[in-house]
Amino acid sequence: MKINTKTRTKFETVLFTLPAVILVSMMIYIPFVSSGYYSLTKWNGISKKATFVGLSNFKTILFESPQFLKVLLFTSKYTAWFMVLSNVLALALAILLVQRLKLANFLRGLFFVPYIMSMTIVGFIWKFIFSEGFARLFQMTQWEFFRWSWLGDSKIAFYSVVLVGVWQQLGFYIVLYIAGLQSIPPDVLEAATVDGAGGWKRFFQITLPLLGPSITICLFMSLTNALKVFDIVLALTQGGPGGSTYTATLDIYREAFQNNNYGLGSAKALVFFLVVLLLTQLVLWFSRKREVEI
Amino acid sequence: MKRALSVFLAIILLFSSISTVVAASELNIFISMPEYADAMRELIAEYKKVRPDVTINYETTQTDYPTLLKVKLNSGDVPDIFASTTGKEIEVYKEYSYDLSDQPLSEALDPSVKESMVDADGNGLYGIAIKGNYFGMVHNKDLFDQAGVEVPKTLDELEEAIVKLEAAGITPFTSGFGEWWVFKHAFQHFMASATDDVAGLVEKFERGEAKLADYPELYENWFRFVDLVYAHSDDKPLEATINNAIVNIALGRAAMAVGQGPWIEAGIVEIDPDVNIGLAGYPISDDPAQAQVISGADLALRISNRSKNLDDVLDFVNWWHTSEYGKDWFIDVAKVVSPVINDRMADFELVQDGAKQIEENGAAPISIIHSTDSFHMTFGEIMQAYVSGQIDRDEACARIEQKWVEIDG
Repeated sequence: MKINTKTRTKFETVLFTLPAVILVSMMIYIPFVSSGYYSLTKWNGISKKATFVGLSNFKTILFESPQFLKVLLFTSKYTAWFMVLSNVLALALAILLVQRLKLANFLRGLFFVPYIMSMTIVGFIWKFIFSEGFARLFQMTQWEFFRWSWLGDSKIAFYSVVLVGVWQQLGFYIVLYIAGLQSIPPDVLEAATVDGAGGWKRFFQITLPLLGPSITICLFMSLTNALKVFDIVLALTQGGPGGSTYTATLDIYREAFQNNNYGLGSAKALVFFLVVLLLTQLVLWFSRKREVEI
Repeated sequence: MKRALSVFLAIILLFSSISTVVAASELNIFISMPEYADAMRELIAEYKKVRPDVTINYETTQTDYPTLLKVKLNSGDVPDIFASTTGKEIEVYKEYSYDLSDQPLSEALDPSVKESMVDADGNGLYGIAIKGNYFGMVHNKDLFDQAGVEVPKTLDELEEAIVKLEAAGITPFTSGFGEWWVFKHAFQHFMASATDDVAGLVEKFERGEAKLADYPELYENWFRFVDLVYAHSDDKPLEATINNAIVNIALGRAAMAVGQGPWIEAGIVEIDPDVNIGLAGYPISDDPAQAQVISGADLALRISNRSKNLDDVLDFVNWWHTSEYGKDWFIDVAKVVSPVINDRMADFELVQDGAKQIEENGAAPISIIHSTDSFHMTFGEIMQAYVSGQIDRDEACARIEQKWVEIDG
């Protein structure tokens, strides 16, 4: 029997993607649909029956729950800080690391190490540094800022979380920027030098515009990663002190699993999903528009 | 080579399937409280001698235990023995839980333990306890001697004690305020002083019919106490955890630990076996008679009512609570306040001191069991927000009242 090549290719394509499709549906699409169903119910996550309540959960979120608005605002604040800091720092370090430094390769590896560690472990390491490590450093140096309660003061705790988040993710964006920088054709830069452009001018007029695709992808990734932030907050502050570092995801988790309002939690998750979808599409559209090509 | 390997694998598979047939039944225990992991393993090993045909799988975790339990319940993988808090949460998991009233162990249980295992209507016995418990203020007696001051019994005495301790260069408190449950443990003493009917008062709060401001014991005394602790404790009160409490008491870095109890003694004596510690009632008002220790079981072990090996599970827990070894296990191995009736007592300072205090001054009623931990977590967060100055006392009270209705009402 002879199967013609076209059908065969088609068959193979389907066959090889099938395991991934099945796994992704099991892990993502099916839970997504079922949480859509649970968002219409009142269910404590324990009892066997869930009561159908229509859209009342959404009504609660939109009109009766200032808490969710508060955590959305907190998440946006975190996202803004995270995006600016991680992108600016990563770009600066990437530019440094494409120079012909002796230790460039070693340093690239060094910056990437935190990224391959699990967020939770990073969280616990930093928790230790903030409490025990800083206490010891204060004894040695007597510098006042080592004595601050980095995780116990509601005003500082936010910056501690941002700091650790950026520290952990930085390596990833550095790698993306390095790749982008290396793909800029040197002749364009040389031409600019010949035309008398100085270092700053070269950077802003040539390098930065040509980095467009890298910037797009980094902005997009940092945006989604910041919006989804969960494990680092859970490990570092658990939303504390006094609920001052609750992100949207942590609030959803708390609603569903601690407050035993699985239905309301699912509804919050759906609302948050729409917010994330909207924001990422906006940023993607905006930064794509500004890309240039040679 | 390949063939040899496959034969080998086939034999292994064959044997493993045979061995599951031979082991007549397998019990799954999934509970919180990892501090008793070693003791539990010892208990299970001992039971293996009694019933070699029963295999017990024991799993324990602390972080996120309720979440993991919910996952198991919903996926149909209900553990034969699981844990919850007592009181209010008995009802929450009731549909999964076996009623033990007619079991022999029910005779052996301490009446105060039994009381906390009933459902919302006051019927049944929906759990057993891995421990009875005492709640009070753990303190380092040597530090009080050093400062020449008695353990305070009223709030005014507490203020004096703080002055004297600080004059002697001693930090009065290790707060543990980084932990949400420290607040619930301390708060229940104030609840007990505010009313004779704690359960009734909690119900009123849940219906939104009570106001904290109407109870000076709560509105004045509780916040006064919290303020004092915050002002005179570790450097970073909101980062202070149970570990700080253990270390600070053991090394004599702080005189009093808030929200703790006998469960930290094992950790303390590991650091300093000779430390001189005690358990006292909190100074909660002007009346020294109200500085009482609280006694009761706050954690329940539940038997799944859909267990495939229900008879074996029941046999195990009955053996645990009625056999000589089982009864002594609570005292000699786990070293807890015994949940079953027994003349002897664990040789832990805090357990014995707690029992002595109760004998002399009586015990206050346990109130944490009337609310769920969902509420208590939020309660802890609100109190953290209060002590760190994010909100004032009235705002804190308003939020507590609101959450009581929302979460537990």
